[in-house]
Amino acid sequence: MSTIWQSLYLLVAKGLPTTILLTLALLGMGILLGFPIAFLQVYGYRPIRWFCRGYEQVFRGIPALVLILLFHSGLSRSFGILLPPFVSGLIALGLRSSAYQSQIFRGAIQSVSEGQMLAARSVGMSKLQAVWRIVLPQAFRLSIPPWTNEYSSVLKDTSLVSAIGVLELLKQTTLIFTRVQFIHGSRWILVILILAALIYWVLTYFGNAGLGFLENRMRIPGFEVKGQVER
Amino acid sequence: MKKTSVIILSLVLAIGAFTLAAFAETYKVASDTTWPPFEWADAEGNLLGFDLDVMRCIAMLQGFQIEISSYDWDIIFDDVGSGRMDIGASGATIKPERELKVDFSAPYWTSDQAILVRTVPDPENPGQFLPEINIVEALAGGYRIGAQLETTGAGWIEDQVIAKGFDASLNEYTLYPLAVLDLINGNVDAVIQDEPASVASATAEDAIMVAGVIKTNENFGFFVAEGDPKGLLALIDDGVEQLKDLGVYDNLIAAYMGTDLVKVEEAWRASIGLLESGDIVGFASQLAALANE
Repeated sequence: MSTIWQSLYLLVAKGLPTTILLTLALLGMGILLGFPIAFLQVYGYRPIRWFCRGYEQVFRGIPALVLILLFHSGLSRSFGILLPPFVSGLIALGLRSSAYQSQIFRGAIQSVSEGQMLAARSVGMSKLQAVWRIVLPQAFRLSIPPWTNEYSSVLKDTSLVSAIGVLELLKQTTLIFTRVQFIHGSRWILVILILAALIYWVLTYFGNAGLGFLENRMRIPGFEVKGQVER
Repeated sequence: MKKTSVIILSLVLAIGAFTLAAFAETYKVASDTTWPPFEWADAEGNLLGFDLDVMRCIAMLQGFQIEISSYDWDIIFDDVGSGRMDIGASGATIKPERELKVDFSAPYWTSDQAILVRTVPDPENPGQFLPEINIVEALAGGYRIGAQLETTGAGWIEDQVIAKGFDASLNEYTLYPLAVLDLINGNVDAVIQDEPASVASATAEDAIMVAGVIKTNENFGFFVAEGDPKGLLALIDDGVEQLKDLGVYDNLIAAYMGTDLVKVEEAWRASIGLLESGDIVGFASQLAALANE
């Protein structure tokens, strides 16, 4: 029993902080890059739209682990750029997330009907004003439910950076199960993996609960969205 | 006026102290810390093991700092070779293919390969165990052999068993502990790995044992980037020699090889303060004494 508590403590104390930090950094990077890309993909001039489409297709089309290895070993081998493992993992997964998030935001922006834009223009708003005051507030609300998906997958994708030596939750898990295997035997590997799975599950559950809360708080009476998030 | 000069003087002194501290270079050490007794993480998450303590003692002797990171084995050579990490200390066998990417120190340890297999109870001696398959069957009887990716054990199976036409197949794993798990679960029938780690695995559970040792006489070396741009190999080689002369090296061997891992961990936590205060000899002798108590 003490082995379980000890392992749980180590996972939370030494692995979890990096995982949380990385998740937050990735989501932030994804919003900061993904939102402008979505915006430009919808409203930009044609060459800009093409560029954004290309960006989104490249980073959605390459497996996350391949991206990580490209930014880690690829950059150092081909160009002599030596990024610390945390940074190369952050860039690779951040670009990936920004591409996915851009499609969430694009979908949300485009699901605000064209008629509203026309109505806003007809009462004298400029195009930018109409986007800022009519389209985006609605799009933001519409993007929360699909965004919970991105949160859930980004959180678990952080485990991929263990491959390049970042000491996060999964890497810490392997260090712990190595030790307990050499001391208590192999069946303990499963116990430690279940502990790690539990931590990921708890993070996913409470993160989504928080986002559901945000969704309900942001709700506007009369704005046509069916149903509430059950909690 | 006096006040100003005092402030200036203390500033100068502070800057001087910082510069001195900065002269104690910090080098980044990469290690696959899933491989007792050479490197692993204890119950508190401290990284310890023979390789790591040898490096710590060398750093203390030669006046530099080290920072150890846990790495996956299959990218250690890339990351030391590219210069992202400065030193590899991970029970690495000196091999020509690896020397294309990195430069090795003088050999500091010689190891052989061992074959782990599952056990069956010994009908003659209750409580004792026998190998389920013998070493000949394990290597040539059409069984599946597990090995860690890009290790010399995996290479040995490919070159000396499969390439020579013996009937065996190879399953490779990124982590050694997962190969052992698959052996116990029956997904492979044997696992090849360096002898000290295999012995440590077999000690932990009755379900597996060492069926035999293959004499390979592999030399372990620490390694740095190709061409040794930071001039570390001389410091490491000289450090190992000094540790041998001081008796520290033998004490570290006595502490880590063939001893109980939990006991070594406790001994390490009780002794590491001595190393941090600069008492290399005291650290090693106390570690060996406590680990073998």
